[in-house]
Amino acid sequence: MSRTAIGNWLAAPIVAAIATICLAPLAILFLFSFFSVDFVNIVKEPTFKNYWTIASSSTYRGLIAQAFLSALVVVCITGVIGHPVAYFIAKRVKSAKSAFLVLLLVPLYTGDLVRIFAWRVLLGTEGALNTLLLWVGVIDVPIEALLFSPLATHVVLVYNFLPFMVLGLWLSYESLDDHLLEAAGDLGASGMSAFRRVTFPLTAPGLIAGGLMVFVMAVGEYLTPQLVGGASGITIISAINDLFGTAFDWPLGSAIAWTMLAILGFFFAASAVVLGRTNWARAVVGGE
Amino acid sequence: MQSIPNKQPLNGGRRPSATLLRANQLKKSYGSFEAVTGVDFDLEENSYVTLLGPSGCGKTTILRMVAGFETVTSGELELSGQSLVNVLPNERPINTVFQNYALFPHMSVAENVAFGLAYGQFSKDEIAQKTHAALELVQMSAMADRRPRQLSGGQQQRIAFARAVVNEPKILLLDEPLSALDRRLRKDMQIELKDLQQRLGMAFLHVTHDQEEAFALSDKIIVMNKGRIEQQGTPAQIYRQPANAYVADFIGGANRIAGRMSEVANGVGVIETGLGKYRAKCAKGLSAGAPAVLCLRPEQLCPTQADGLELQVTHTIFQGADWIVEARARDDTTVTYLAPKSRLPLIGETVAVGFDAETAWIAANPHEGAA
Amino acid sequence: MKNRMTRRSLLQTLCGATALGSLGAMPSLAGSNEFVWMTWENLAKDDYLAKLLAASPIDLRKNFIGTDDEQFAKLRAGGASSVDLITPGLDKVEFYVESGLLQPVDLDRVPNAAALYDTFRNTPLGKKNGETYGVPFYWGINPIVYRADLMDGEPDWSVFFEGDKHAGKLAMRDYALEGIMIAAMYLGIPQDRMFHMDDAELGEVKKALIAQKKKLRTYWNSISDLTNLFASGEVVCAFSWVPPYHELRARGLEMGMALPEAGVIGWCDTVAVPAGVEGQKLEVAHDLINYLLGPVYGEKLAYGGPYATSTSLIRDQLPLDQQEKIFVKDLSIMDTFVWKQNPPRYNEWVALWNEVKAS
Repeated sequence: MSRTAIGNWLAAPIVAAIATICLAPLAILFLFSFFSVDFVNIVKEPTFKNYWTIASSSTYRGLIAQAFLSALVVVCITGVIGHPVAYFIAKRVKSAKSAFLVLLLVPLYTGDLVRIFAWRVLLGTEGALNTLLLWVGVIDVPIEALLFSPLATHVVLVYNFLPFMVLGLWLSYESLDDHLLEAAGDLGASGMSAFRRVTFPLTAPGLIAGGLMVFVMAVGEYLTPQLVGGASGITIISAINDLFGTAFDWPLGSAIAWTMLAILGFFFAASAVVLGRTNWARAVVGGE
Repeated sequence: MQSIPNKQPLNGGRRPSATLLRANQLKKSYGSFEAVTGVDFDLEENSYVTLLGPSGCGKTTILRMVAGFETVTSGELELSGQSLVNVLPNERPINTVFQNYALFPHMSVAENVAFGLAYGQFSKDEIAQKTHAALELVQMSAMADRRPRQLSGGQQQRIAFARAVVNEPKILLLDEPLSALDRRLRKDMQIELKDLQQRLGMAFLHVTHDQEEAFALSDKIIVMNKGRIEQQGTPAQIYRQPANAYVADFIGGANRIAGRMSEVANGVGVIETGLGKYRAKCAKGLSAGAPAVLCLRPEQLCPTQADGLELQVTHTIFQGADWIVEARARDDTTVTYLAPKSRLPLIGETVAVGFDAETAWIAANPHEGAA
Repeated sequence: MKNRMTRRSLLQTLCGATALGSLGAMPSLAGSNEFVWMTWENLAKDDYLAKLLAASPIDLRKNFIGTDDEQFAKLRAGGASSVDLITPGLDKVEFYVESGLLQPVDLDRVPNAAALYDTFRNTPLGKKNGETYGVPFYWGINPIVYRADLMDGEPDWSVFFEGDKHAGKLAMRDYALEGIMIAAMYLGIPQDRMFHMDDAELGEVKKALIAQKKKLRTYWNSISDLTNLFASGEVVCAFSWVPPYHELRARGLEMGMALPEAGVIGWCDTVAVPAGVEGQKLEVAHDLINYLLGPVYGEKLAYGGPYATSTSLIRDQLPLDQQEKIFVKDLSIMDTFVWKQNPPRYNEWVALWNEVKAS
């Protein structure tokens, strides 16, 4: 038996265990999504009723769409902010690079709630930002929409997830050869043009990696919308939570969870196919 | 790898003429470190000029200032009389062949070559046509759809060249373009580069640490050391009449016998050394009393019966066509020479070598001991 | 009565759900002498229980819960055999009973139960076929709390539905049952119909709640969060619990508490014994229930909560202002409370609530 084969055999139980641990709950949820509920009893007769409920409910459809759209917005914004930050850390910072990375991650060490409440202090009606604006005289009355609004939700989500985007991009920038940017400038490209034609496509793997992380986390986020999103802070995730907890409708909750998973899977598969068709993606990601 | 048939004689055709690029007291410092100490040189139209020196001598810094990648600390850099100092790299009619080629990995060969054409006023057809012509020029048309990573080093080098010249720059900068190639390929590419320069009628500014490469290619060589220019001139001048001990050593490994000038007149001087007094042609600027070195190329020395340098053989080194003999003079100066075909001396043997005063050369020795 | 949706609670609920599918009843992991009480952290403080524990050698283990839903999910997922006493809401006991998770409590073995206030003795909630499954244990109300310094007069439910004076400064709890009950009370739907509303009535409720949503600053999920919102002035008036009123008054804010005439939501938690508990542990369970209904614990909770227990055993020993604080000074007020019940169409209520929030 070759060494590789032995290695494979040794790894097999671990792979199997991880697969089981990861997949078993999903499989059970999947099973549940075809059941129905009668008061406190789960009726184990297969039905598509739950999926039909989701498809025919404008509330659930809307919440699902909102989750994905909102996550997309967060990915875009973190991407736009992440590029210069990652560039700065990778290419401009020489000696204190690790310090900058640690600094970037510091917000992650504090809890969700700490960060959210910090933002409340900043954005509230009597918060720091409104106080400052009033003092400067830019506004006469506090801007209430700064907090408890979709705006606030997205600001906090961007703040929370930016480090993941930056980390992804940073790795790409680290491996980006400076000479390529010089070459682009040398050949006549302005800064913007060089970014568009060279930097952006070559750091795309980082953008995709960071973007996927941010996207998945933003889709699953409910605490931030709940605590700073105001009356519109409902998310599909908190609806699932309501169904599992308050309403004891595990089958419908499972069905929504699986609908989300399926859409997410479709998203990834579709983007993989689209990316696989473009030349630069094959070259950059596939190392062709 | 085949080279393009040489349709014109080397150094033939048009001779270098009007000044295209002029550096005047060009200086670059990083904090207190002066990478380039304030140099003057000209690059003539249609000339092939090489910046030659060891790593860290400032030659690449000069190239990068010309390209615009580095700012100029002080001094002037002019292209056709216009200052380049505040012109962005993308606005200079200058293109670069990078040492590692810096081809865009996410683009095909043709897309790489066409990259710069997007910034000119060209139609799609014109771009395609120019790209094709540039690939033809470097005999890479067949590779147009490949990716850089699928090409060999030599092929990538050609693409990098095509990508730069397709923009018809006034000056082409080459940063150690051949250093990553193996020796055999390097020789071929040297011939080809020179040929292309002639055919394109473009001024090339080439950075290298390889003196052979510099000799093979250049109309003018600028020898650099520690941010200074030690000497600039034609390859023949540099080789035969090194300005100082550093150049003499760096170029061709001349034997140097240190001493002091005792008399100088009409380009001929007498140097007094620990091994005796010698009369030979001498470099400009030497005066009586100045420290100097007598430069003797290994091939200028041959065994003699009388009145030669007395040496004790320490090593003999086989170099294919020749044996090199390394020997020590009585003042411990190491001297190398080509062994005669007839007989190889034994190690430890005492030999006497002589030289023709007509071919010897006395160079300055400004950095006594440093060289 | 802390009902905060935290990440952990979501996780626990989901874990419970998955475990239910994969596992049967788990064997008890607790040792023979350990007695496990699943309860709220503020009910099981050491000094509340000191007297009982000094008298009998119980190895009492407390298993704290985050939400009632979480407690139910845990038991449904097979956790019933590892706990010996649980603390479900009076309106939720039905869930546990119908799921077969509880055994009836023998009130003869709980002498202090004789002193239950009539309201709790007579309630149909927590009972089935004449047997008591959840023994009412302590209770309170969820009133309107407001910043008296920032409002003109005492508000009633209409403040959440009419006018724009305080629009953008109001908050409601993010909880379907209470949210819909309040809308029903505002709309004048009588108590006996409230939990059995038909489609037309639910439609009216939904309309009212959608109008309400536009006036809200936010829905609150944790009482400490709401307290902060009051303190920072983000919210001037909210459907609340009692604690922020006391807490913020103690911090010097001029707070008001309103009990609307249309009805005040009353809540009550019970103690209940899981189905498998027997022998020595069943004895202990009855002893503990009896202690919880008794005067020692009642006094501790009256000051510490401050909450009233369900028996009259301590009331008369309390000074009047403390009686007032826990709503037992005038006992007839209890009859005006609308006790939370579990509506038969609760799933539709939750769906309706989500539709309102997503509108």
